[in-house]
Amino acid sequence: MVRDYNNRHALDQKLRGTPKPVNADHLEVGHWQAIATVLAQVGLEAAVQRALSSTPELSLRYCGPGEWLVVSEVDTPIGLMRRLDMLCGTQAHVVDQSDGRVLMRLSGPCARRVLAKGVGVDLHPGAFALGGSTNVLCGHIAINLARTGEDIFELIVSRSFAESLFDDLMTMGRAFDLSAAFSD
Amino acid sequence: MASLITCPHCGVRPKEEFAIRGDASLIRPAPTASDEAWHDYVYVRANPRGRTLEHWHHVAGCRRFLVVERDTVTHEVYSAVDGVVAAREAQR
Amino acid sequence: MTAYRLSSGGLADRSKALSFTFDGRPLRGFAGDTLASALLANDQLLVGRSFKYHRPRGIVSAGPSEPNALVTLGSGVRSDPNTKATVVELYAGLTAKSQNRWPSLGFDVGAVNGLLSPFLGAGFYYKTFMWPRQLWEKLYEPVIRRAAGLGRAVLERDPESYEKSWAFCDLLVVGGGPAGLMAALMAGRAGLRVILADEDFRLGGSLLSETETVDGASAPAFAERIVAELQSLENVTLLSRTTVFGWYDDNVFGAVERVQKHVAEPSAKLPTERVWRIAAKRALLATGAEERPLVFGGNDRPGVMMAGAIGTYAHRHGVSAGKSVAIFTSGSSGYRTARGLSAKGVTVSAIIDSRPEASDAAPDGVRVIRSGAIVDTKGRQRLSGIVVERSGFEELVACDALGMSGGWSPVVHLACQRGARPVWSDALKAFAAPDVGDTLRVVGAANGVYTLAGCLRDGAETATAMAAELGFNAAAAPLPVTETEADPSFAALWYVPGAKSKAFVDFQNDVHAKDLGLALREGFGHVEHAKRYTTSGMATDQGKLSNINAVGILAGMRGVSPAEVGTTTFRPFYTPVSFGALAGTARDSHATPTRKSPLHEWAKKHGATFVDSGLWFRSAWFPRAGEKTWRESVDREVLNVRANVGLCDVSTLGKIEVFGPDAAEFLNRLYCNAMLKLPVGKARYGLMLREDGFVFDDGTVSRLSDDHFFVTTTTAMAGAVMSHMDYCAQVLWPDLKVRFCSSSDQWAQMAIAGPKAREVLQQLVDEDISETAFPFLSARAMALRGGINARLFRISFSGELAFELAVPAGYGEAVADQIMEAGRAHNVCAYGVEALNVLRLEKGLLTHAEFDGRVTPDDAGLGRMFSAQKPDFIGKHLSARYGLTAADRMQLVGLKPVDKDKDIRAGAHLLKEGMKPSTLNDQGWVSSAGYSPVLGHHIALAFLKSGRERYGEKVVVWDKLRDHEVIAEVCDPVFVDPQNTKLKA
Ligand SMILES: [Zn+2]
Repeated sequence: MVRDYNNRHALDQKLRGTPKPVNADHLEVGHWQAIATVLAQVGLEAAVQRALSSTPELSLRYCGPGEWLVVSEVDTPIGLMRRLDMLCGTQAHVVDQSDGRVLMRLSGPCARRVLAKGVGVDLHPGAFALGGSTNVLCGHIAINLARTGEDIFELIVSRSFAESLFDDLMTMGRAFDLSAAFSD
Repeated sequence: MASLITCPHCGVRPKEEFAIRGDASLIRPAPTASDEAWHDYVYVRANPRGRTLEHWHHVAGCRRFLVVERDTVTHEVYSAVDGVVAAREAQR
Repeated sequence: MTAYRLSSGGLADRSKALSFTFDGRPLRGFAGDTLASALLANDQLLVGRSFKYHRPRGIVSAGPSEPNALVTLGSGVRSDPNTKATVVELYAGLTAKSQNRWPSLGFDVGAVNGLLSPFLGAGFYYKTFMWPRQLWEKLYEPVIRRAAGLGRAVLERDPESYEKSWAFCDLLVVGGGPAGLMAALMAGRAGLRVILADEDFRLGGSLLSETETVDGASAPAFAERIVAELQSLENVTLLSRTTVFGWYDDNVFGAVERVQKHVAEPSAKLPTERVWRIAAKRALLATGAEERPLVFGGNDRPGVMMAGAIGTYAHRHGVSAGKSVAIFTSGSSGYRTARGLSAKGVTVSAIIDSRPEASDAAPDGVRVIRSGAIVDTKGRQRLSGIVVERSGFEELVACDALGMSGGWSPVVHLACQRGARPVWSDALKAFAAPDVGDTLRVVGAANGVYTLAGCLRDGAETATAMAAELGFNAAAAPLPVTETEADPSFAALWYVPGAKSKAFVDFQNDVHAKDLGLALREGFGHVEHAKRYTTSGMATDQGKLSNINAVGILAGMRGVSPAEVGTTTFRPFYTPVSFGALAGTARDSHATPTRKSPLHEWAKKHGATFVDSGLWFRSAWFPRAGEKTWRESVDREVLNVRANVGLCDVSTLGKIEVFGPDAAEFLNRLYCNAMLKLPVGKARYGLMLREDGFVFDDGTVSRLSDDHFFVTTTTAMAGAVMSHMDYCAQVLWPDLKVRFCSSSDQWAQMAIAGPKAREVLQQLVDEDISETAFPFLSARAMALRGGINARLFRISFSGELAFELAVPAGYGEAVADQIMEAGRAHNVCAYGVEALNVLRLEKGLLTHAEFDGRVTPDDAGLGRMFSAQKPDFIGKHLSARYGLTAADRMQLVGLKPVDKDKDIRAGAHLLKEGMKPSTLNDQGWVSSAGYSPVLGHHIALAFLKSGRERYGEKVVVWDKLRDHEVIAEVCDPVFVDPQNTKLKA
């Protein structure tokens, strides 16, 4: 018995079906990207950060001291694990989270106002700059939030919470006609 | 309480992101310490009026235990430092 | 034009007529009206009945301090009780009903109140509670409930929607009057992030009813110009219809925005109300001042209003409160109001000034009665005259409205919500805001500055100074030019002597001056006692108008300064906020998040019945055609696992990856059993204790490589265990080189259990998983055919030959499908947590039903796991104390009903046969129970005193809550396959 297994996205039920129009404020759900947790060995945090930052394909999301989520749009999960093992060697421990995390990209002129309904962190560009990322609470759900553009935010959430977060975001965005779709 | 805590790793955060664990001045006794020492460590709390040190776990953020020094009367927060830093200092 | 609408003037848009109803009566107002101004225009002065005495009550104020004009808006599920007509923005289709009257507003049975009055004096509740209980239940409570009370709460589900939002700013300005607007303007121009919140639907505050000009324009036009400039500034957010209700620690403010309270048909895209949590670096209170009512006989007659409110209705709304208005004043403000009314063509019948002398100018032809005191009022449902006493002579002055002006009290509520008390100021004859530091300052009338020019300057200058403190440079700008005016002076007049009828202090709670006297005489003269004793200031308006007079009267009676009496405590909320708004979106399915397993869709496909388990949705059982009860399904699933094979979703277990050279040492200190020498490729059952020696959680530890462990926790304790590990690693043992993170969501994990489990699973993997190659407690990474990186564990929670297979979550469903296909020939079935529970119960395996926080490893029969040789681990020291090692502790046992047809229920207590149920006789309790399809009768796990010595004994299983009693035999807790022959097959 040998077969290819299908990978089912956590929001498959929510976003399956005919595409709806994309509005100015839009929630794009990343279909396939590789995500991994990198835990620097105690004392080697700075070295690991340097190593990770040297690769432009990798996007680093700060979680806490010596801990990052690394996002790659170009690698497969296994590819990312290999790449990180090579980059970090024994300086860090790497855990594949590609199936355990869901990435959502919220963009549009009202993105900040949508997020303000759940996130108790000042998202003014002066306080949360482009390239910044951090773990925050969005409503009742812990997420990692990154600013990847003036009006673009990326949210990474644990898979089991993805549907709830998605529902919350659509409610938070209802005044702005927030649309949602898989990126493809 | 406080409405906002400035996490040394994450910046200003609402209290909802934290779980308070209680007295941060306790030091876990050696395994061979007296029953009294262990009893005090596990059960006895001072409940001070005024300045106090507490562990605030940044559960929804960096997941670090912060040592928060605050006033139980005025609710003023004097400082919030990383628990590992504080623990290493205490061991010295 | 309606009876009391002035022919011209005001800000109401007379081209936009709006229809509304009051008590079913169709009425018309204009856009820009409040409900109160429209009611006044329609000669509907009487709007309610008082709380205790059912006296007719009319509109008193023109703002949020209104004590009387409480109405119910809307009807059915949308009805909104206790709404202040004075702040309700009129809209087409509004329906309002008066409250607390029966059978009608005009004729109220309760008003025949000579009957009730003696019962309802001050201290009534306290005294009555002393009386025989029967009297309270049978007489007083029903009478009071019928007669007293305000609007009725709606019991149906609230159809409105709400939301919350965070906001961050450099400067929050509370109040959009002259001081607030100038402050926001200066700060906004300087580049600060400014939020200006005002509870009115139109910004401008007192400027909207001001008669003076500013910069050569009318005051409302000036306000409009400033608002327009503020709107053009990107860094300024204007929140009208927004009440800042609370000031919290770290300068966080709570505010409620009435987004759609003023529309008949709300949009589904918007909330009805929005609660803002505003974190402000600095805040300015520009909340104005409240005019003081005067306490004189008959002062609650409809038509007696605040003088300033009469001015507001005339100037802002173009509505006259009466045809002939008298003014009762203790200061110059009353004269100013009179002049404004006179200029509007409203007849002012007289000014009664309590002061013997004053230099204030009355309007031409208006009589001034100095040293005058009103001692009574005439009229039924509207004022018809006032009885004025002067030098011992009484005189009746005809009027149909009376304006009271007893001076001014700064509105300092918010500044006092964090513990600081307001400070009595002899100069202001009022309580002023305390100094609460740099982060919050008070400006304008709230700061005791009562002239227009003063307010504009105070706002501008304070905001400029605060901008500088925050490092912003505010360019100097000339202040707006105003007409010259005198700072209004007044004499404090707490109580007008000689009252001929009740002189009310608190209109809403029907507290009159004599009640306060009674309180003092009976020993409740402290302001906090007097408040509770008389209920003064305890109604929905929280005494916004009345408290100051209550303090003044207490001070007078005690012969001390109001400073010595002090005020009662200020707390959020400034005005009432609906529960819906405070809940925001966190209700129904949004109340808490729902977690879904990666195998959720797979389970759904197989017809699972789901059960809430914490935040999780777990598959409970999988009914098949013909099965009528859940028990039938569960029995079938259990028997099939024992005979063939089953697949169960266990993805909800907590999963933690632990790394580092000290990982083994770390785990060795976390668990009470030994972990240091766990071989690579092996799993071990682990028991964690709390520091007090009781079991905290259990799970498995698998060593995947030398410095990489995979830890599982129970579903319920996943978060708590992770936090505990954080604490241990960071606080207790910061020098251990260990790192860990959760991988709970990365893996779909399934248990494949039953004698055929290996045959089924072997079809998916190339590696040999035979008993020799992959024996019990093996654990390692393994690729599935087709290239999926999986982890396979030989562990069992059923006593059967079993594996747990973890695959990346997205593949969970496909792999589960594959297992079902591979198992079809072996009669594989899906089984849920109910069957899982029966399977473990039959094997005497434990869950948090047993580990309830009072159980030691030895109690649970796991004493052998306690590794006393280890130098230290969490819980070691206190495990040795006497209470935890006593011989008569309750120990885990099994129970079988003697009569095999009887059931045993979890939660029941155990008694020796023939003993009375009592705490002393309590022998233990049943922790888990269920029907064993294998044995064909109920079984249970229980904790029983010295239980392991009592196998064979009969005990009474006593469940008083469900009135259930059964005799059971104590036995070994392992009911099925005690030799573990199936497990290691
Ligand atoms: Zn943090």
